[in-house]
Amino acid sequence: MSMPSVPIARERLKNLLISDRMQCAPDAAERLRKELHCTVSKYMEIRPEDVTVDITRNDIHIKYTGENH
Amino acid sequence: MGEVIVITSGKGGVGKTTTTANIGIGLSGLGKKVMVIDTDLGLRNLDVVMGLENRIVYNLVDVIEGNCRLKQALIKDRRFPELYLLPSAQTRDKSSVSPEQMRKLIDEIRADYDFILLDCPAGIEQGFQNAIAGADRAVIVTTPEVSAIRDADRIIGLLEASGIRKNSLLINRIRIDMVRRGDMMSVDDVTEILAVDLLGVIPDDEQVVIATNEGEPVVGTDCLAGRSYTDICRRLAGEDVPVEDYMKPEGFLEKLSGLFRRS
Repeated sequence: MSMPSVPIARERLKNLLISDRMQCAPDAAERLRKELHCTVSKYMEIRPEDVTVDITRNDIHIKYTGENH
Repeated sequence: MGEVIVITSGKGGVGKTTTTANIGIGLSGLGKKVMVIDTDLGLRNLDVVMGLENRIVYNLVDVIEGNCRLKQALIKDRRFPELYLLPSAQTRDKSSVSPEQMRKLIDEIRADYDFILLDCPAGIEQGFQNAIAGADRAVIVTTPEVSAIRDADRIIGLLEASGIRKNSLLINRIRIDMVRRGDMMSVDDVTEILAVDLLGVIPDDEQVVIATNEGEPVVGTDCLAGRSYTDICRRLAGEDVPVEDYMKPEGFLEKLSGLFRRS
C-alpha cells in the first residue's frame, strides 16, 4: 500500500501560502524567524526553539513559548 | 434591501458558474427574488449552464452602455419563481466595464431583489475587480487541491483588502473515499488552512455533470450534490442548517447504493 499523499499536499501548501503571503522566497520565513530571534536575544535570554513566527493573511505573529516549557 | 454576493475562486474550473446557477435557482425555490449576473466578459457561460443560451438578446455591457434598458436584457427563467439572469457579453473584453459602473448598476437594482449573485471570472485582474465592486459578501469556491486552495487564499486576501470581510468557503468536488484513505485533503484540512467560515461542502457527484449537460439544475434533486446545494441555499437565506458530516461511517443504504454504482 502506498503512502497517503495528503501530508505532502499540506506541507507544500503551507510553504506556498507563506511565500505568497510574504511575497518572497520559500526559505524567507525561516530566515525571518532566525533574525527575529537574534533581535529579541539582544534584550533577553531566549532559546531559538521558543520563538515561533506565524504568518497569516493580515498579520505576522511572533510567539514566545518559553514560559510553557 | 437585497444582499449582493460574489461567487469567486481565483482558479478557473473549480465550479463557480455551476455554483452560481444552482444557488440562484435554489434561493428562488425558497421564495426569494434573485438576480444572477454573469460578469465574465468574453467568456459567457452562466446562461449555458442554466440552459437559457437561446434567449439572449441584450447583455450586461448593453445595459451599462445604455444600448437597452435593464428590463430588456433580463431573462426570466420560466421554470423557477422570480429568477432573473443578466447575461454577459461574448464579444467584448474585460475593459468594457469598470468597477464604478458595476457598483452603480448594482446600487440601482439592489432594492428590487432579495439576492443578487455575481458570477466572477477566474483570475485577479479587472474582471475580478468588476465582479467584487458592488458585493457585500463573497462565497469562495475551491476544490481540495493545492493549486485551488492557494488561489483561494490569495483571493481572500484581495477581498479583505477591498473591504469585503464576510467571506465564506464552499468546498467543491470532495471525494469521501479518497479523503478516507488519506489521498485528498479533508474539509477540516481546507478550512483550517484558509481560516474562513465554511458555507458548505459539495461532494463530487456525476449528477452535476449530467445536469449541466442538460442545462438543468442539480439543486433540489435527490442526489448528494443536490441536497448539499439546497442546504447551502438555506444557510444563505439565514436558516441554521448544520454542515453534513461526510466523514461519518457509511450507513447501510449508502453502502448498498455504492455497491450498485460499482457494478
